[in-house]
Amino acid sequence: MVIRVMPIVAILLLLLTGCAAPQQQQTSVGFVPVNARQKIVVMRPDVAVDVLTTGGMLERREDWTLTARDNVIASLEAMQARRGAKNRVTITRTSADSDSDTLIELNQLHEVVGQAVLMHKFSPATLPTKEGVFDWTLGELAVRYGEESGYDYALFLYARDSFSSSGRVVLQAVGYLGCFVGVCAAPSGGSQTAFASLVDLKTGNLVWFNYVKSPEGDIRTQEGADVLVGTLLDTMSEPAYGNKGS
Amino acid sequence: MQGSRRHFLLGAGGCAACMSGLGHARVLDTELQPLIDVGYEPVDTDERGMWQSMEKIEETIQASPQRLNNPELQSYTGGVIEQLLGQEVPDLRLYLIRSAMFNASMFPTGMMIINTGLLARIRNEAQYAAVLGHEAGHYYRKHSIERYRSIRTKTAAMSWFSAAASVGAGVNSMSSYGGADWIYAASLINTAVTMSMFQFSRNQEAEADAYGITLMAKAGYAPDAASKIWEQLIEERKASAEQHNKRYKDRSTSLVSTHPPSEDRMKDLGDTAAYLSGRSSLAPTDRRDEWLAAIAPHRAMLLDEQVKLNDPGASLYLVNSLAQDGWTGLLRYNEGEIYRMRGEAGDREKAAEAFAAATTFPDAPADAWRAHGYALLKAGKVEDGRNALGKYLVMNPDAKDAGVVRFTMAQ
Repeated sequence: MVIRVMPIVAILLLLLTGCAAPQQQQTSVGFVPVNARQKIVVMRPDVAVDVLTTGGMLERREDWTLTARDNVIASLEAMQARRGAKNRVTITRTSADSDSDTLIELNQLHEVVGQAVLMHKFSPATLPTKEGVFDWTLGELAVRYGEESGYDYALFLYARDSFSSSGRVVLQAVGYLGCFVGVCAAPSGGSQTAFASLVDLKTGNLVWFNYVKSPEGDIRTQEGADVLVGTLLDTMSEPAYGNKGS
Repeated sequence: MQGSRRHFLLGAGGCAACMSGLGHARVLDTELQPLIDVGYEPVDTDERGMWQSMEKIEETIQASPQRLNNPELQSYTGGVIEQLLGQEVPDLRLYLIRSAMFNASMFPTGMMIINTGLLARIRNEAQYAAVLGHEAGHYYRKHSIERYRSIRTKTAAMSWFSAAASVGAGVNSMSSYGGADWIYAASLINTAVTMSMFQFSRNQEAEADAYGITLMAKAGYAPDAASKIWEQLIEERKASAEQHNKRYKDRSTSLVSTHPPSEDRMKDLGDTAAYLSGRSSLAPTDRRDEWLAAIAPHRAMLLDEQVKLNDPGASLYLVNSLAQDGWTGLLRYNEGEIYRMRGEAGDREKAAEAFAAATTFPDAPADAWRAHGYALLKAGKVEDGRNALGKYLVMNPDAKDAGVVRFTMAQ
């Protein structure tokens, strides 16, 4: 079934949260903010940090990635602690080998679906058939997982951060030089891309989605991770993610 | 991280500047040494990053529903790898993947992937060893990281050429000469650099071929099995092309191919095998019986995958090629299926003949009896047809189509 985005929900959220919600946030019609009786599982966040080489390749940095992953998990836990523990939120931080095949598949699926949302909803290549519509789903796999685990919702988070190598920085500087003489082709620098989805495990549908694309930010630091997690999740209606001490 | 996966086959598709018959056959380097020891762990930052990025891929492969999780085949393959390397090989982790395409790949971390399409075509253990040895060559010669580093250096150089050309063009355009020459020169240089990346990859493939065939000879496998694989593959592709009324064209004879032309590989491996055989005192063996015993339980599935591709030229070639070791009920049944699905003039009769032949073998699958039964009914042999269908139901009492078959028998 095609579900239309309900602007009312967005306006409501705006009023509830009392701050400007970024425009990219999407909810499906009929999205009822999650209440305290429902159980949410926060999936192991998919985090990686790369260095952008002089030639523009992304090269994974193991140390940065491991630090950033810990930072993001800590941010999620801190956010949860701040909001009180009334609603039942579980943050999985299991390592790869103790994860079930289903969880691995779900995380993989979320990455693919999330990238599709970014591509077809929030890029110049927006699909006309997705205009005014938010109807992505993780399908049966998510429903089955909900039945097996007893959770009502699953929150997925995907984050990639990258930083220019020193060679790239010099190259950029030379590129800017070109601008002074009229041929302006400055190579791009590192950037941050992250998205989060709330999935209703009764239907498998993505009922809420938010993303961040920025040339700034640094999730290698705890502060940077807090900013990212806050930007991504703060706009979700209050009971959706936490419950401020009520 | 792109380019860290090394395939056994898979040439690049594009063919902007096709060339063929470039190389002359040569004896490959048989003195290559492994660059890493057992239990190797990377230390360099870039290599650690590459390994880290592979974790997620391996996790996904592990959990993939496409994976063929068969302990017997797994341990048999492990045995061949140990035989090849003459020691226990804890660092190479094998995953069998259900894909009808002939291919295998090696990841820098020791994750090796073998497609079922490859298992379907291999004729003996020596051929299997040739593939495994080639993949081991990519691993022990550290090809992924070396290629990555080469590409990183070259893309950096290309970026500098472009940036310098931009500035140069800008400066020049302010004079009366215009700046187009600068951009043109940089793009020429960068094209050459790009081509050199593909050449680097082709050289690595040749090196992996060399490494693999040397391991084979040392382990007592007949080294000519390696070139035989390419011979089979080229012939199969010719058969497939002919069926489609097309001329056979090797996809890997292009300047932008990551792999050397198949024919060159075949010839190089053939010459190297002759050279190695002359130096070896071992009586080389292809261990065909061992292979046939290991693959027998899976042949039905492997053939089914291939036949359903509906590539009758290739499928018929494969069935006939496997039949060189003796026809079986399973092979005849699949031969019949290929004709039945192709459906050209005369194919119905050919299929009926193949199904009838299949049922004369003790290993005839239940499906062969059903196919034979329907063929007989179509030919008007009602009594024989009913008997054959009856035999199908006896062999496969829980068949999903049992109701339909009974209905047909009652007509």
